Amino acid sequence: MPEWLINTFDGFVLLYSAMLIASYIWMVLAAAGRHHHRKTYHDEDYTIDEMRKSPYTPFVSIVAPAYNEEKTIITNVESLLSLDYPDYEVIIVNDGSKDSTLQLLMERFQLVKVPYAYVEKIKTKPFRGVYKTTSDNPVYQRLTVVDKVNGGTKADASNAGINVVSSKYFVCTDVDCILDKYALYRVVWGTMCSGRRVIAVSATMRMSNGCEVKNGQMVQVNPPHSPIPLFQELEYTRSFLVGKTAFSSINALQNVSGGFGLFDTEVAIKAGGYDGDSFAEDMDIICRMVRYMCDSGEDYQIVQIPETCCWTEGPSSVKVLMRQRIRWARGLLQIFTVHRDMLWNRNYRQFGGFTMPYVFIFEFLAPIIEATGYLVLLSLFFRGEVNVVTMLVVFFAIYSFAQLLTMCIISMDIYIGSGFKRKLDYIWFAIASMLEPIFYHPILVFAAIRGYIKQIFGAQMVWGNMVRKGVNQQDAKKKGGKHA
Amino acid sequence: MEFYTLNRFLYLKYYVMVLYYQLMEYPLLARIAAIMITLCVLFILILIVRNVIVTQMANYRQRKINRARARYYEPMKAIALNPEMLDTADIVQQLDLPVRHNALAAMSQYMVPVFLELYREIGESPNMTNWRRLQQAFKMPDYFDRQIRSRTMRDRIMAFKNIADINADLKEAVASRYLYAKDAKLKMNARFHVGRFGTTYPFKVLEEDTNLVFTEEMMVKYHNLLVYRSKNNLPMPNFVQWCNRSPVNEDLREFAVNEIRLFRQREDCADLLNMLKSTHDERFACALIRALGALEYYVAEDEFRRRFPAASLRERNVICEALGTMHSGLPEVVPFLENAYLLVTDVVSGMTILRVLYNYGPEGREAFNRLKQRSTQDYLFLFKHIESPLIKSERYA
Repeated sequence: MPEWLINTFDGFVLLYSAMLIASYIWMVLAAAGRHHHRKTYHDEDYTIDEMRKSPYTPFVSIVAPAYNEEKTIITNVESLLSLDYPDYEVIIVNDGSKDSTLQLLMERFQLVKVPYAYVEKIKTKPFRGVYKTTSDNPVYQRLTVVDKVNGGTKADASNAGINVVSSKYFVCTDVDCILDKYALYRVVWGTMCSGRRVIAVSATMRMSNGCEVKNGQMVQVNPPHSPIPLFQELEYTRSFLVGKTAFSSINALQNVSGGFGLFDTEVAIKAGGYDGDSFAEDMDIICRMVRYMCDSGEDYQIVQIPETCCWTEGPSSVKVLMRQRIRWARGLLQIFTVHRDMLWNRNYRQFGGFTMPYVFIFEFLAPIIEATGYLVLLSLFFRGEVNVVTMLVVFFAIYSFAQLLTMCIISMDIYIGSGFKRKLDYIWFAIASMLEPIFYHPILVFAAIRGYIKQIFGAQMVWGNMVRKGVNQQDAKKKGGKHA
Repeated sequence: MEFYTLNRFLYLKYYVMVLYYQLMEYPLLARIAAIMITLCVLFILILIVRNVIVTQMANYRQRKINRARARYYEPMKAIALNPEMLDTADIVQQLDLPVRHNALAAMSQYMVPVFLELYREIGESPNMTNWRRLQQAFKMPDYFDRQIRSRTMRDRIMAFKNIADINADLKEAVASRYLYAKDAKLKMNARFHVGRFGTTYPFKVLEEDTNLVFTEEMMVKYHNLLVYRSKNNLPMPNFVQWCNRSPVNEDLREFAVNEIRLFRQREDCADLLNMLKSTHDERFACALIRALGALEYYVAEDEFRRRFPAASLRERNVICEALGTMHSGLPEVVPFLENAYLLVTDVVSGMTILRVLYNYGPEGREAFNRLKQRSTQDYLFLFKHIESPLIKSERYA
């Protein structure tokens, strides 16, 4: 390998790393400022009290697709129906389940098919019917079940749900996610505090692996005690509390998680809803909503709130994790193909001028640069051209920076107060953080590279079932599959 | 040879010097990395210490609150619900409160969550005199006064919120110093405080801040404080003045119209109708139509029908809904709606009109059936949807 090439690569990696570290420092400071501002001006109990009494609190719909969820569907729907919010509806989309998901729902909630005027505002696989309760129970009357032919993706099922939404805002979630009792207040409040039109609100999501759940409600938040979910918990917390919060502070949030997010119904429909062909439908819908708002010259805001609103069960095996991350990587490449005109385009404001370039340079390119770095390092090592002391010092510098970042996240989580009740549980975070660069991160790099290769060579995507172990339910054990 | 005794700062200097000389022979990158490690370790240690202190302080505070709750909650509840008026001195004696002022003052901060919890539990049922005296017994007004004068922004903001939350007895004057504060949120909280409890000049927000962004958050808070005033027989404003006086602030203008509707100020209907006749702003017109419909101001029906052909889709839907809410029973309404249905071009408007007709008494139901008979097979699903008793009306069109 010519020396000039190695020197150029060295310089590039140095510059890239410096920029990445600088961006992390900015994110930590911006996020800390944001959390401090929220802590100063926001009081959750007061807000909930005010919203509960007010006629200005908007009606909200929850859209949750379900596919072959017979083992948990009843508990999960009951959980969604027991949220604390003055006025909301729950729309469950039965995405052509092959098991008895629909029958169980019909029996439990006394549902019958109704002649619903289903208007296909967003194109989906054929719709089969809408079910409503015959019971006088006002809680059951909140429930609507949409039955449709299986579309193979969560996006298609979500779109069918959006077609029957009758509120100004809808929350999109997974039926097996556990929502915080006050989650709706939190996300709706996010829309009410801004002078601009809030088109989406993202909320913090955490892993439910290891938590205790009773009657579909979270009773004890614990860190996952198996390695893969624990690493993901750390990754999610870092992403929501630092990355997304910082991006949100300059109105440049890149995506609202598919697991839990609130959207403006009108804008979501006008933007075409979720793209059933996208592997990263959550980022894709934000791209299209932003595109719609910017093209029509309207001001908008996308908000991130730091409090945990939703717990989801993460993959607990390397195989399932790999499959998930390969899909995400393919989705990212797809985003930069489909929405390439938004990259560096100032017409799309912060999203085009900052978010897209940032994601491209530091998320999309990162695995490629990292993998190339490993190869170059190995090659130099075997040729005896590596200064081992320098290498180790640089490695420990990056490693200690990663540990500092984790400590900042722990501090933020304690400051916000929505994390673990037992503060000693954060030791698990620290352990995960120490092991992450060695055991977990290489898996992610490998999965991302594989995802890019598969996407470039057009390999067919298999939407496999995600095997769920189930959270620590006192009343139901979760097992089964869903759209992975 | 000179000997130095290292003190706390020299330790750091010593470490930096050792590091410097150790790494002098190494490349620049290694030296930068070493500095980075030093700084990271230092910050990690600082954060660990900070987290431990914060956690311990929070635990200590929680223990104090739990102790206060265990000791005073039930006796406080009994006093608050006691129909007999009690003196502050009696309450102090009953609760066996510390006599020393400093001890009471220190306790006040832990009593706030107890008062909040109690007020949430007993709602609006307490004997208000006893409730206020209970607060005086714990020196809560003094505590809130101190908090409002605190140097920390959070303390000030939280004090205003807690005062509203527990219906504390604190005069409007305490907020006067912040009515023109530079910090917008603090200023709003002070103004909400004055709006809730004030008597001399309570509506500063609506009077003076005509150019502020009137968010939904503020609408929620302002409406709740107006409800509080209304329940406590405090003077209520006439909202129509803000509809006329703030043409530049659409949000405030719409809020004023909504409040007329929610507080059913029917005496303003004629003014609202005049505004409707002169406005070309769709959003404002929709708010006016909704208000006139909810207040059942039948005179406005002619104007609704006059506007309909030239109105936007959204405004047309609001007009139809308002006609349904108003339910005047005038003979022109049903033929008008029937005709409107025949002219609609979209499903949402069609469903809105059909729903209004379906619920508009026997004549409306007759018109609904007529339209159903005339409808093509393609649109029958709309009629079936409306007829189904299991499907609730749409909230958002």
